[in-house]
Amino acid sequence: MFSQLKSRFGSGLAVGIIGMIAIWLIGLVILPQILMVDYSFRPNLLPADIGGPKDVYSLTNYETLFSNKIHLAIFFKTIWSSVLVTGLTLVVSYPIAFYLAKVATPQKAALCLLLLIIPFWINEILRTFSWYIILAYKGPLNALLLGLGLIDRPVRFLSGDGGVLIGMVYAYILFMIFPIYNAIESLDTNQIKAARNLGAGWIRTHWRVVIPHAKPGIATGCIMTFMLAAGSYAVPALLGSPGSRWFTQIIYNWFFEGGDWNQGAAYAFLLLIICIGFIALVMRIFKVGLGDIAK
Amino acid sequence: MDSSVHLDNTVMQFGDFTAIQKTDLTIQSGEFFSFLGPSGCGKTTILNMISGFIDPTQGDIKIGGKSMRGVPANKRPTSMIFQNLALFPLMTVAENIEFGLEVRGVSKSERKKASDRLLELVALEGSGAKKVSELSGGQKQRIAIARALAVEPQVLLLDEPLSALDLKLRQHMRTELKAIQRKTGITFIYITHDQGEALTMSDRVAVMSAGRIQQVADPITLYRDPHTAFVASFVGENNGVSGKVIEANSDLVVLDCGPLGKLAGRSQSNIAVGADATLFIRPEHFRLQAENGMHTLGATIDEVNFEGAYLTLNAKTPADQALSIQLGTHQYSESLKKGAPVSLSYNERDAIVIAGGDHV
Repeated sequence: MFSQLKSRFGSGLAVGIIGMIAIWLIGLVILPQILMVDYSFRPNLLPADIGGPKDVYSLTNYETLFSNKIHLAIFFKTIWSSVLVTGLTLVVSYPIAFYLAKVATPQKAALCLLLLIIPFWINEILRTFSWYIILAYKGPLNALLLGLGLIDRPVRFLSGDGGVLIGMVYAYILFMIFPIYNAIESLDTNQIKAARNLGAGWIRTHWRVVIPHAKPGIATGCIMTFMLAAGSYAVPALLGSPGSRWFTQIIYNWFFEGGDWNQGAAYAFLLLIICIGFIALVMRIFKVGLGDIAK
Repeated sequence: MDSSVHLDNTVMQFGDFTAIQKTDLTIQSGEFFSFLGPSGCGKTTILNMISGFIDPTQGDIKIGGKSMRGVPANKRPTSMIFQNLALFPLMTVAENIEFGLEVRGVSKSERKKASDRLLELVALEGSGAKKVSELSGGQKQRIAIARALAVEPQVLLLDEPLSALDLKLRQHMRTELKAIQRKTGITFIYITHDQGEALTMSDRVAVMSAGRIQQVADPITLYRDPHTAFVASFVGENNGVSGKVIEANSDLVVLDCGPLGKLAGRSQSNIAVGADATLFIRPEHFRLQAENGMHTLGATIDEVNFEGAYLTLNAKTPADQALSIQLGTHQYSESLKKGAPVSLSYNERDAIVIAGGDHV
């Protein structure tokens, strides 16, 4: 890499570029992570005891999760809810992505993409808060449903998991639509016509031709959505009810309310490791390789 | 089974653009029928209407006498071979062929039997387990044919399926397609801009231009008796000479072609004396020696090309019109060279006069 940079920019600039990348990578990415790994294996001590005889490495912080039934339940609920969010987002995004890639005229597709992107220029907290207003007991959605006569009395969307699910599907929809859109767009339209021509109905055409082709895009979208959902803090904090706590909120509590960074770090790493393991498992089941996703 | 296709006063418009002018045409059951025309003439639109990807703006498509209006593409008794073949790359060869049967709920063992039989028909026995990407261009072509035939269509639609193949393979596939058509007795509707393909394979050809069918005829009639100037110049090579009608007796018409003198040719339609008309003479109908009753015009040679079995001459008339002449190589002599004068004779029975002065 150095010789390439050197031949292009000269040795002075090359050293500068490599140096800056090194500072960024080591100082801002690797060292803090190592620090957190280090934290997670050590007990939470008073400043005076740090470095003393009590400061020994152990797995105690990691074991805490498995001995705390409530935290463990919230942990699995977070994974399960993230799966739900991913599934819902996929169901909502696939038709949109197919429409954009194969049905809409280029002008319409461009307009739709713009309309999808514009809300994402607004800060995530504000976007989520707008859902808080929409879904409120006396909010516009209830007013609309009441007005249309679809319900007799307002629904409490925000108690329970409903609000969190809706908020997350909305927050991560673009991460699902774009990879699937890209995948479907690269499908030769004649393949769809050929399937139709051979007698396939719409469902079978999608199942046998479009979805197998779009599988890498679907996998990419699902992985991104799942990771973002499992690691989300703002949406459950704003739209959640006491019954729908997210595991990230517990990590937050350890860090900023419990003041126990060591415990928080261990929880954060557990979430990361188990999410990665879960994704690896799902990729195996659906026979998706890493190479497919990198495309 | 009646598998005729009837375009019943069909019109297709896209917004303000009329892709297909009002067309009434019946393609017989079991016929090998071609639509021939330059790109953009509307031939693919006709195929899309028959297969059900689009519905005509006016009129109807009837297959076997049944109206196809409102019948979706997946319910029509047609199957199509696409220009790029559109084989399913993620399926094996056998899965590709069996797809249409799978859709129809045919059992696995029946499907296997059908795909084996079809692989034999296209001479690719034992390739069922291969991936599509492992096949050569010609093999893919044959798999596409097998896949389309698997659903036992009444009508097979072919959208320039040979255009991507090299010349040798293309000629080979022509014979094979014709043989498959004879064996199966299915109505073949073939779309092409390549007149060689259309003329060699078809029972009848429809020549199209700008959304209109110019002429429907068997290949020999199309070549010998073109009805319009477009057909005369699009099918095969032709030399058009414009003039004014000065005499019209039964089917023979005499034109005054200015500096070229009086020239005569056959005509199917009645052309009035005094009207503008164009005389078409094929390059191979010119002779260097005039025989009895032949017409002669003088020209100057521009270029002589030796092509093996024959010679082509490019020449210019005194009216500065370019002519193309094809002669058997045995007629070659030293005097045929650039700049030399040449007198070209033709038999009036070989020339065609078509109304209208502006032939190109």
